[in-house]
Amino acid sequence: MKLFLVLLPALALAAGASGKSELHLFAWSEYVPQEVIDGFTRETGVPVSYETYSSGEEMLAKLLASHGAYDLIQPSDYTAEAMIKAGMLRPIDFDQVPNLKNIAPEFLHLAHDPGQKFTVPYMTGTVGIVINTEKVAGPIRGFGDLFQEKYRGRIVVLNDNREIVSWALAALGLPINDLSPANLARVRPLLARWLPLVKVFDSDSPKTALLNGDVDLGVVWSGEAALLWNESHKFQYVLPAEGAHFFVDLLAIPRTAAHPEEAQRFINYILRPEVSALISKKFPYTNPNAAARRLLTAEQLANPASYPPVLKLDTFRDVGKGAAAVDRLVTDLKSSQ
Amino acid sequence: MPAATLVNAATPRGRAPALSGWLLLGPMLGWLGLFVIAPAALLVVCSFCSRDELGRVVPAFTLENFGRVLDPIYLRIFGRSLRYAGVTTLLCAAAGFPAAWFIARRPELERSRWVAIVTIPFWTSFLLRTYAWIMILKQEGLLNAIAVGSGLASQPLGLLYTPQAVIIGLVYIYLPFMILPIYASAEKLDEHLIEAARDLGAPPRRVFSTVVLPLTWPGIQAGLIMVFVPSLGMFAVTDLLGGARTALIGNVIQNQFTQARDWPFGAALGVVFMLLFAVSFWFLQRRAGAREGRG
Repeated sequence: MKLFLVLLPALALAAGASGKSELHLFAWSEYVPQEVIDGFTRETGVPVSYETYSSGEEMLAKLLASHGAYDLIQPSDYTAEAMIKAGMLRPIDFDQVPNLKNIAPEFLHLAHDPGQKFTVPYMTGTVGIVINTEKVAGPIRGFGDLFQEKYRGRIVVLNDNREIVSWALAALGLPINDLSPANLARVRPLLARWLPLVKVFDSDSPKTALLNGDVDLGVVWSGEAALLWNESHKFQYVLPAEGAHFFVDLLAIPRTAAHPEEAQRFINYILRPEVSALISKKFPYTNPNAAARRLLTAEQLANPASYPPVLKLDTFRDVGKGAAAVDRLVTDLKSSQ
Repeated sequence: MPAATLVNAATPRGRAPALSGWLLLGPMLGWLGLFVIAPAALLVVCSFCSRDELGRVVPAFTLENFGRVLDPIYLRIFGRSLRYAGVTTLLCAAAGFPAAWFIARRPELERSRWVAIVTIPFWTSFLLRTYAWIMILKQEGLLNAIAVGSGLASQPLGLLYTPQAVIIGLVYIYLPFMILPIYASAEKLDEHLIEAARDLGAPPRRVFSTVVLPLTWPGIQAGLIMVFVPSLGMFAVTDLLGGARTALIGNVIQNQFTQARDWPFGAALGVVFMLLFAVSFWFLQRRAGAREGRG
């Protein structure tokens, strides 16, 4: 037993330290097309193992528990910010990643990585409102129009407490990243009115309830909305008038990575216009790669969920332990229904 | 009883098992140590720890996590979870007992076929079967098509994402865990005892309450525990069929380990949970012991 426990990390280290060229990719589920991975291996001869997670927290937990098991990860903006603060990411040698030039400048030097040293944008998106226009007649421009008594039991929203609180903050004109106790106290009565109207909370596949006809309205990830639009144009996507935010999913190399060279090659490969366009085809989020966007079809670019009229939007910032207060607030309101 | 061969039958209190007994027990004790005791100990340690900004568990002693468990929010969720699990257990017992009794009274060959039928659902993942319930209950689903098509309902009923849907899902998932132990004790019940009771003039209800129920009680008790305990902690069914609208204690705990990044608090909830089970199990055992003592 003891011997086994001692051997386990040693084995992992041995596997990591071996000079063999390989790449351990740890990324969101349903986010990196298999043909992209196969294409990289075919070209470079570097075998890729692809392990997935379904929340940034799961990724963090596994990364912290393993040593050198992962060479390339895919954190979201505020997760990356926390990791940079904690010194968990390795600076990327951008001399080895010349294709960074393809990324549109508005997606570089963002708040999570102001020095643009540790991360590369992979895909970005927004959170907005989907309307089944066959069932809902009234105009829905924002959260105020959506969360009305007449739509009780007809709404799906993300099961993500940070998201939910940010919508209420936006509706009250408060900054979405200021989760101070005073602000949480101010959003509380609004959320107490909103949450009982919701029929389903689902982050994994909120499009399902809309497709099944169980709900007619939703606040969902733009990628989900884009897939709904491809299914039927009756599903309209709007960015909430009160204010929206966008998220950036990134590629980053953990400090403990055993194969940083291969990770950089993979990043450079992904940043090629034709490869990036392939990802867009499969997962219609907003592509930050300007060169890749030129390769997209008019139809892809016309998808209002993938490419909404771009305004100046905020991203989420790391709030450290503030997450606990947010969780407590939403749990409390959900359970008091 | 295999346990009886392990201990010296001459001493009723039971001496320590012989060497061969320990050898036989070895794998089970090892398994328990590795997969039950060690994780439970980790959970207890974690529940007294703090966490840092990234959600990493830091070994700094605190009682704060247990203080939070007593917050009225979580007590209320606890209460609601107990109600859900209680209703599920009662429905499982009401549906499971007749089924188990029926199977146990069939000829032997037929019995094994029925048992196979009861266990067929285990051949596929319960998550898949829960998704199947979504297909049945959804707005444009099977049940609504039948209800509207046959004129029983004028418009589709809102079945999915309701507390009723959660209960349906829970009863469906855990029913076999009620049927199988009751069947095991009903099968052993000697038919002659029932005949004797009838011959002595006992009406059916009396036969049930003085013969059938006491003799199948161990199976019922096992079934009650096997349904109640897991349905109290379940979170997948409540998320998928209930739309994650009503927070149950399983969802709250799961959330601490994922989104909230607060493992110590999740661990504290888990520890309180375990203690609750231990106490109620001990209570049940003591009552059973007292009954035997009386008899």
